[in-house]
Amino acid sequence: MNIKAMLGKQRIYFDGGMGTLLQAAGLKAGELPETWNLTHPDIVRNIHLDYFNAGSNVVSANTFGASSLKFDNLDEIIFAGIKNAKDAAEQCGREDCFVALDVGPLGKMLEPLGDMKFERAVELFSESISIGAKYGADLIIIETMNDAYETKAAVIAAKESCDLPIFVSNVFDENKKLMTGADPKAMIAMLESLRVDAIGMNCSLGPKQMLSVAEDYIKYSSLPVIVNPNAGMPRSVNGKTVFDVDPQEFSDYGVKMAKMGVSVLGGCCGTTPEYIKLLTQKTKDIPYFPPENKNITMVSSYTHAVEIGRVPVLIGERINPTGKSKFKQALRDKNMAYIINEGVSQQEKGVHILDVNVGLPEIDEDEMLTSAVKELQSVLDLPLQLDSVKASSLEKAMRIYNGKPLINSVNGKKESMDTILPLVRKYGGTLIALTIDEGGIPNTAEGRCDIAEKIMLECEKYGIDKKDIIVDPLAMTVSSDDKSGKITLDSVRLIKERLGLKTSLGVSNISFGLPDRGNINALFTSLAFQCGLDCAIMNPYSDEMMRSYYTYLALVGEDKGCMNYIDYAQSHKIEAVTTVSIDKEKESVDDSKLKRAIIKGIKSDAYSAAKAATKTRDALFIINEDIVPALDTVGKRFEEKKMYLPQLLMSAEAASKAFEAVKETMGDKENKAKGKIILATVKGDIHDIGKNIVKTLLENYGYEVIDLGKDVDPETVLEKAQQENIKLVGLSALMTTTTEAMAETVKLINKNMPGTKTVVGGAVLTEEFAEMIGASFYAKDAMETVRYAEEIFS
Amino acid sequence: MAEKNINSVSDALTFLSKESKNIEPCKKEAFRYMGYKSEVKSEEIELLYEKCLEMYKSSAGYKAVYRRVPVKLYGNTVDFGFCTIENESLARNLSQCDSAVVFAATAGAGVDRLIMRCEKLSVVEGMICDCIGSSAIEVWCDEVNKIAVGEEDSKPRFSPGYGGVSLEYQRDILSFLDAERKIGITLNDSLMMSPKKSVTAFIGVKAHFKEKDNEY
Repeated sequence: MNIKAMLGKQRIYFDGGMGTLLQAAGLKAGELPETWNLTHPDIVRNIHLDYFNAGSNVVSANTFGASSLKFDNLDEIIFAGIKNAKDAAEQCGREDCFVALDVGPLGKMLEPLGDMKFERAVELFSESISIGAKYGADLIIIETMNDAYETKAAVIAAKESCDLPIFVSNVFDENKKLMTGADPKAMIAMLESLRVDAIGMNCSLGPKQMLSVAEDYIKYSSLPVIVNPNAGMPRSVNGKTVFDVDPQEFSDYGVKMAKMGVSVLGGCCGTTPEYIKLLTQKTKDIPYFPPENKNITMVSSYTHAVEIGRVPVLIGERINPTGKSKFKQALRDKNMAYIINEGVSQQEKGVHILDVNVGLPEIDEDEMLTSAVKELQSVLDLPLQLDSVKASSLEKAMRIYNGKPLINSVNGKKESMDTILPLVRKYGGTLIALTIDEGGIPNTAEGRCDIAEKIMLECEKYGIDKKDIIVDPLAMTVSSDDKSGKITLDSVRLIKERLGLKTSLGVSNISFGLPDRGNINALFTSLAFQCGLDCAIMNPYSDEMMRSYYTYLALVGEDKGCMNYIDYAQSHKIEAVTTVSIDKEKESVDDSKLKRAIIKGIKSDAYSAAKAATKTRDALFIINEDIVPALDTVGKRFEEKKMYLPQLLMSAEAASKAFEAVKETMGDKENKAKGKIILATVKGDIHDIGKNIVKTLLENYGYEVIDLGKDVDPETVLEKAQQENIKLVGLSALMTTTTEAMAETVKLINKNMPGTKTVVGGAVLTEEFAEMIGASFYAKDAMETVRYAEEIFS
Repeated sequence: MAEKNINSVSDALTFLSKESKNIEPCKKEAFRYMGYKSEVKSEEIELLYEKCLEMYKSSAGYKAVYRRVPVKLYGNTVDFGFCTIENESLARNLSQCDSAVVFAATAGAGVDRLIMRCEKLSVVEGMICDCIGSSAIEVWCDEVNKIAVGEEDSKPRFSPGYGGVSLEYQRDILSFLDAERKIGITLNDSLMMSPKKSVTAFIGVKAHFKEKDNEY
């Protein structure tokens, strides 16, 4: 008998708590429970046996915290853990007894919130899982995971290091969120797509509070659902820890769960064999209904899922260098801020998903797409559509993506399917399938539908479900073929009717080569929605597009009380008014207005005043006569303590907006930096706000800043400094524990680049310390760094 | 309610949580963290503060865990049962105490995400949110302090890092409180907590019978 044969055919019972029972047997606070596998095997084995005898089918070996971060003798610990559980299974004698390798969190937060690298996490999980598989675990239970990203790392590790069934269980709080923000739908979307075997929840909540999370799982998951609650909340009675839900009440909730359709039942903290015994007794005669395929198309970020197939979904197309020279330059310069800003402004416009295309022949697209995805998912929570013609770029990005992405794209060519489909099988995702193959793009709806069908059949071979295929029947401009609009619309309709697949279109293509494109795109998109289009890849900055989208939803009954339409119309009106006032300002330009805007720190005013000034004056004149003097005034006031840091920064940001306006009219030659400066937060330190403040100011004073980020190795700083022939390196550290790394970095630079100066700063530093470690200068605040740079580069 | 047993065994773990809207960060403290020493504020900065406060409130979520433990003093060495610390300032802080509340509190990972986002879009907003977070976590700690200690006579809270107590002890505290599992606090290699706006601390509770003070 094996567990996979039982799963989805009958109800499966897990065990209950281990930690509380070990504590009762004498495990001390702070002692690692896994060591008992070796020191007290009898106790551990008997606990397992008690669970099997109480009716558990699966016991989790005592390996929850077993990773090489905590154990030097990992092999031994896991071997003993599995052996104790297997011995208990044998002793119990039933055929339906199985042993799970228990995989808990590593105890480190992953990047970008913490300092553990994703691949390092995969490596650590792989070590433990390989050992567990080697010693005969029947399945892997990845449990008590409170972060989506770490969960994904563990699942990838399990897929790469064994062929065992993978069960995954997350911890939700009373707001139905993981500690790092994911809701149940986000976890379901990601984990289903990673093709694990069962998913669910454990720990944190009692069974009562877990009901509502379980309901979500039953509603959206096509996989068997696991529910392993705590015995309620702990409290103290006469110095003893007791839990507030007793076995009777616990098993009553178990009955509810079983009736709801939960497939795997057990317990977590505070539950004992007595709980499991009552649970199995009371639920064993309740008929079992296997989970059904819900056929819901979802993609997800690390917080939420977007459902495709109900209300039409907007995919922002602006992160794409095609036809944008500024974007191309940003990619060459590895200017991530540009990409982030594009992402954030599209989110503000109301798109649901962001397309990310960073392909440019002269750059390393693998690296660029991966960095772009990392940057975007560190600042915004929209699901991403990974867009590349390079399979290697897609693969790397799919691996580190925190959620379930859209993949743009596969097409009907054999080569494309052979490379892309295995990636989707391994890493998950929903596919955009283009109706083009070796024979080109058919010019009939039937022809395009045939290609979609071919892709669908090929996907079946890889276990990729219909719900994860979104067909793009390719909009091509009506300016070169006047039938192309109609063929595309017919294709959308036919693909839905004949194949039941979802559809997407890059709608902006339809108007290529024609005047007043927004108008055509907007109407075409509405027509396509009416034909059943599920997603539009579009330009959210186009008012016509957004207006017609909200109007469409209001007209087809997808906007309750027309609230969204009204919101849109009202905010749009306000925008119109602001535009007018800026126009008025243009007429009455005076230099003091720009200065005032910078001194007061009003970004929008600074931009419009500078823009207006460029109409009548030379760019360099504006910089030297308005912007720089205004910044100087602010700097002086700061130094005189008449103004504090936030105001200084507001002014710096306003000045940066003014620069932006001026630069738009300037050629590259006039736009030369005063000097190049490297900034970094030293190794081990992840507090980089101070460094970012210094960066903002330096940039406003005309320096080019090479920002190496936080937690930077001394070698990296040196390497970059040598490469760019840097005269000044700025280092920050906030913690006493990281000043050592600062000393090391300074030493390395002094030794290898004696002509290069170092400026150091940060909360725990002092002038004496800076002197001691051989730094050239200690800056007590951001302004001092600027003054020092002025000295060095004068 | 568990007073009777306080000298013999550790109390059970207590979990607390509070919605963000119910914690009001102290504005004065937030400005102090920003470096303000006097009232030289501008209308613009006030407006920006309000904007940041709103963003902050929609990102934070407060959680805490605490346990009451017996405390034994041997000269400058303090024995909490789950760990022993030799430090003069801590021993002084806990003199007259026969028990302590050990707690860990956090404003949640959402705040880290917000600050990260802000820093990339506007450094000043990032800084303001950061300072609001620092002020808010103190407000939350005060509440936890009050709930955990009640009416009893207690000492000012003492965190690893104060008075030369090594940050290493955060590890013992977090593990003793099962804080990773219960409220999601982890430590990185440089002993910084994640989420960043998190605190671990001891709160000494004075003995009921003062004359029994130094029985050890």
